[in-house]
Amino acid sequence: MYRLCAVAALALCAAPAAAHYGMIIPSDPMVSQEDGRSVELTLSFSHPFERAGMPLDRPASLSVTHEGATTDLLPELQDAFVMGETGYTLEFPLARPGTYVFAMEPVPYWEPAEDTFIVHYTKTYVTAYGDDEGWDTELGLPTEIVPLTKPFALWERNVFQGIVKIDGEPVPYAEVEVEYLSEAEGAVAPDELMVTQTIRADQNGVFTYAAPGAGWWGFAALSEADYTLDQGGEAKSVELGAVIWVHFEDWAAQ
Amino acid sequence: MIRPLALIAACAATPALAHKLVVFAEATCNAVTVEAKFSSGRVPVEGEIRIKDGSEALLATFPLDATAAQSIPLDGLATEDGLLVEVDTGSHENYWILTPADLSAACQG
Repeated sequence: MYRLCAVAALALCAAPAAAHYGMIIPSDPMVSQEDGRSVELTLSFSHPFERAGMPLDRPASLSVTHEGATTDLLPELQDAFVMGETGYTLEFPLARPGTYVFAMEPVPYWEPAEDTFIVHYTKTYVTAYGDDEGWDTELGLPTEIVPLTKPFALWERNVFQGIVKIDGEPVPYAEVEVEYLSEAEGAVAPDELMVTQTIRADQNGVFTYAAPGAGWWGFAALSEADYTLDQGGEAKSVELGAVIWVHFEDWAAQ
Repeated sequence: MIRPLALIAACAATPALAHKLVVFAEATCNAVTVEAKFSSGRVPVEGEIRIKDGSEALLATFPLDATAAQSIPLDGLATEDGLLVEVDTGSHENYWILTPADLSAACQG
């Protein structure tokens, strides 16, 4: 009996093993003209495997880059609830073929449990109308994962490669957290270590990951900013994240 | 009407092979600008543009002029049900659908 109570208490007290992720999830990573002429984006901040939402304040910036031109999308954001918390949606018209890179800079999120602020520079790539030009676009964010593999049109179990950069320079042996966006609540892993997997880049900042199944996978390369922010009169560290969301498709060509 | 056009186009679609052809068309009030390029970025230097109506009936053909964007006049063409713009280079072909909404929007404002 005591053992059962202890197990139950542990279960109640257990903190999520999942990582925080800024998220931009499009309704479709590869939009054909038969799909329509727009894509819907959902912006959130969450533990994606557990579908545990956290509040996302109105971002500091949201932009789309296409054919070398960057456009501010902040005025188009619509308030929404995502995974039970505040988030945003946006319907974006895809006027021309090519790759559209959507990027969000959130306002710093104060995480008292970790005694730090979190700023995840988050992006995702959407290709329109069969034209993948621009799939390797680098935005020049303060920290960024630049894709070396096309960040869409991937079969499940393909590898995804990216290079982790800070201020445009590769980060040798950068640590990259990888997490799956569960499609429904109640996803389980055999061990909490498998909710968020961790890999390291090589000496050139290049990492490789093979997704075991189809769906959205988030890659987050974390670093500590060279500045602090004030919290209650104290200078607190800032965790920077370079986050990219990549979709893997069901292997259907059997 | 976008649905029948899409179905027609799906039937006409060719496999997305290496160096596939990407076709895009944009309407103005009295013309269509047709863009075609291979996935390598190269612009095809020869081929044909076929303009079809919403029932896939051929309305007109034009030689591809090897420019990145070619203007096709719409004078006298029946556009009420939308247009299917096909580009055929001989070895590759693809299409773009201009829906009635695309065409009417091009004449507004």
